[in-house]
Amino acid sequence: MRSIRYTFRTIAIALLIGWLWAGASVPFAKDAPGTAGIPPEKVADYLHAVLEADRTIYTTYIVNRMQGKGIVSATEHWEQDNALPLPAQFLQHSGRIVAESGSGIRYRLIGLWPIYQRNAPATEFERKALDTLRRQPERPITGLVTSGKKQYFQAIYPDRAVSTACVTCHNSHPLSPKQNFQLNEVMGGIAITIPLE
Amino acid sequence: MSTTPTPATPATHFGLKAKLILWMVFVGVVPLVVGLGMAFWQGSREIREVSGESFKALAMEAARKLDLLVAEEIAHTARIANDPAIIRELERRRDAPHDRNIENQATTDLEQGWAAGEPAAIKSIMENPLSAALQEHYTGIHSAPGQLQPQVVRASTKRLFLTDSHGTLVAAMGEKPDFRHDHTPWWQGAFHKAVGRLYIEDLRFDEKVNAYVFTISVPVMDSLRYEVVGVLHRVIDAKQFFSPSTHAIRFGKTGHVMLIDSNGIVISCPILPTGVSLSDRNLVPLVTPLQPDWVEASSDGHGGQSTSVIGFAPLPETSRATNGSIENGSWHTFVWQASDEIFAPIQHLFTWVTVFGAVAVALLASLGFAAAGRIVTPVRQLQQAAQAIGRSELRTPIEIRTGDELEDLADEFNRMNQQLNAAFAGLTDQVELKTQEVQVLQQSTDQILDAVPTPILLIDADEVVQYINRAARESFQIQQEPMSPVPLFDILSLDAAAQKQLRQEFHSGGSRSTLKDRPEPDAAPRDPLAPAADHRPLGGRSELHIGSRVYHYQWFRLPTRPGHQDSIGLVLRDTTDDSRLHDQLVQAEKTGSLGVLTAGIGHELNNPLFSIVGLGEAIEEEQSLERVKTYARDIVAHGRRMANVIRDFTGVTNRDALDQQVPVSLEEELDQALATVETAADMKGIAVQKNYAGNVCVLAQSDQLRQALANLMTNAVQAMKGTGTLTLTTGLSDRTGTATIADSGPGISKQHLSKIFDPFFTTKEQGEGSGLGLTVVRRIIRKFGGDVRIESTEGQGTTCIVTVPIVTAAPERTPCAPSATHSEP
Repeated sequence: MRSIRYTFRTIAIALLIGWLWAGASVPFAKDAPGTAGIPPEKVADYLHAVLEADRTIYTTYIVNRMQGKGIVSATEHWEQDNALPLPAQFLQHSGRIVAESGSGIRYRLIGLWPIYQRNAPATEFERKALDTLRRQPERPITGLVTSGKKQYFQAIYPDRAVSTACVTCHNSHPLSPKQNFQLNEVMGGIAITIPLE
Repeated sequence: MSTTPTPATPATHFGLKAKLILWMVFVGVVPLVVGLGMAFWQGSREIREVSGESFKALAMEAARKLDLLVAEEIAHTARIANDPAIIRELERRRDAPHDRNIENQATTDLEQGWAAGEPAAIKSIMENPLSAALQEHYTGIHSAPGQLQPQVVRASTKRLFLTDSHGTLVAAMGEKPDFRHDHTPWWQGAFHKAVGRLYIEDLRFDEKVNAYVFTISVPVMDSLRYEVVGVLHRVIDAKQFFSPSTHAIRFGKTGHVMLIDSNGIVISCPILPTGVSLSDRNLVPLVTPLQPDWVEASSDGHGGQSTSVIGFAPLPETSRATNGSIENGSWHTFVWQASDEIFAPIQHLFTWVTVFGAVAVALLASLGFAAAGRIVTPVRQLQQAAQAIGRSELRTPIEIRTGDELEDLADEFNRMNQQLNAAFAGLTDQVELKTQEVQVLQQSTDQILDAVPTPILLIDADEVVQYINRAARESFQIQQEPMSPVPLFDILSLDAAAQKQLRQEFHSGGSRSTLKDRPEPDAAPRDPLAPAADHRPLGGRSELHIGSRVYHYQWFRLPTRPGHQDSIGLVLRDTTDDSRLHDQLVQAEKTGSLGVLTAGIGHELNNPLFSIVGLGEAIEEEQSLERVKTYARDIVAHGRRMANVIRDFTGVTNRDALDQQVPVSLEEELDQALATVETAADMKGIAVQKNYAGNVCVLAQSDQLRQALANLMTNAVQAMKGTGTLTLTTGLSDRTGTATIADSGPGISKQHLSKIFDPFFTTKEQGEGSGLGLTVVRRIIRKFGGDVRIESTEGQGTTCIVTVPIVTAAPERTPCAPSATHSEP
């Protein structure tokens, strides 16, 4: 069971390395003659694509298979239960590791009806973006935000209920404020924050 | 028969009864004990499992409750951390111009003032707008009406203070905290590289607060939740905070819930003080897994060493944040009840079952006693009956009416008794008959033995005389008829040497070899009149001299009954009279022989003497010279005859023992002997046949050898009574010369043949022969080293064979000395 945790870590680290490589390529691109810098929207798109792909692989090929074969299931208290993290937790946890790495770029899952209040939108921009994305999920909401004197680029992508596990968990969790989510419904968003220095 | 082993009988009865009771009790007790033990074991196990499951459930419930309590406190703290005013102020501090020197200087001044307790410095922190905001939140101004913190929880918060993104104190409430916190684990844990993380620090003792406290450190994120701009610390008195929740849960006398951390340190317990560790460190890994469960541990963690059932569960949410993550620590509930109390019901049950079991065993024993009595009584009756049968005293049939095998057995006993009685009756008759026979046999034996005139004694191995017959009683003057055992030598009064010899023989089993002591027969011829110098007493070996009587005795072995030592019989024969008679007989024989001898000699000499006297008288009156000469010749002849008789007689006795032996021709001696015989006897009708080997030269004395041969020839001629054939033969072998004189006479009968060499034995008429002839012959021949033997078959004649040693040393045998004609004596 411990190996699962290692598996998870390995995946997370692999993702991080992949992302770092991608991030490292940005300055090189900048230095290349005749090219301007990559706009943050592009960077956020790249990152979002990687995140989505990783989580899909984790959900489809790891969690579903492990649960399907009855080897190990994904539970909320995966640390105590010695189980797999839920796909949402996978994203959050990898985001935490990315933040701890100190590179500056951060992402997190936010929602209008979060199970834990810490995942509620922190700013009016996020709240409005989530609201908008529920109606128009095609494009991410991007914008510049400030914290004190610091400026950040923020892109909020819609996050759908990709598997039934997401829906059932949110609809049954005692702390969940909304319990009528549908599959493929936009449950929240992935907020990617890039500091603008 | 009468001495039956009475002491063993009651012991056997008691044993059977006791055994029966013991077996019944055993049969009752073993299943009882086994069942009781198994029930107790199973009951204990089930109680343990039920208690364990209950404790587990209770631990989970308590863990959830405490988790919620902590979560609520975290939520309260987080609400403060989410205060936009506080966030703004901290963002401002973060974004303040980074003139390090000025800022550091100001901070250092403030720190020194704070440490020194300067009122200005304290006021600048404790009473700034942020501290005011903290105070407002703490008192609940900003809380919704339903979210007001309970007084207890509020009171347990010992400190509430805020640090900025550098760990520097920004605002404080309650007890005065330190100024810098950037090196403390909880600040670093909550700041967490500006990412921010909930950090619940494990229990520690705070000197200023004087209590065991834990801290909840909540990061204050910027308005974008991008990074940490400050950390909010809440220092909470653990005991005060948790005791309302944990102490309320009590069950039974000892059952309670306690909260421990993963190191086994007690956070809250109704019994143990906060901050101590569990008494048994080995218990900690058992009760701090991350899954709720229960265990059966060898100690209770409260100082007791009895086996305990402990339920436990982690606080799920709190544990995730303890010391930053679940790997660094976790908090657990611990539900325990003293095992005495848990197992009290089963122990009561056990006690009661034991009591009832004892009652049952007692009942079993008493019922068993009664049952055993019912079984044993007929058995005892049967046993007594069997004893009576053994003594042949059972007269009345056994009366057992139990209707079971015992009754059958009793019937069998009765039947057996009848059969035995019948069998014994016949047997008794037979025994009586046999006894009578034996008695008759014994009487007759006694009578026979008594009738024997010889004393007979039977002696056992201890030299005690068992039986004496009448002859012995009379001989040894023993009066009493039914004699008591008497030692052998009390009866036989013997001297010491005789006793010793007798005892030796007795102990060697009475088997003395009579052959061994038999004297060698005399090889040498003996003069019948010579004194018997070597004549040993006849009874020397088996004779006893008892008093004046002489007894010849003999041992015999008497087999007795198997298992007894053989007794030995001693037969004594009174030979006193026999030996006397024998002596007389010998004397008479000797006397008779002398008489015969005298008569023979007298007769032999008388006849010629009378002739000589008559012829002498005739010569006196005769004138005719011719006749006188004739008479004189007759007188000479008679004289010669007398001289022969005397020579015969004297030659036998002792003569010429040292005479020189010379080579003599055997044929010559035969011829001369024949010539001598012819002069004395009538040989007209007798044919003489000579078969000489020729010149057989032997070593002898000529005249004696001639006399011996003449004697033999005379016998032969006399036997033939005037008609027949005398055959003279000589032969030669390696060492001896043989002369054989055979006649055709009537032969000698077998009974006489063995005696013919005895002195004075003769078949001739009185006066015809002296009976000494053959005796003299044998004596002479033996003197030469030869021998003479006579072979005869009755009716076919007699053959005398004389063997004499030949001359061996001389190389020339031929020149035998011419026969030295000795002059007549």
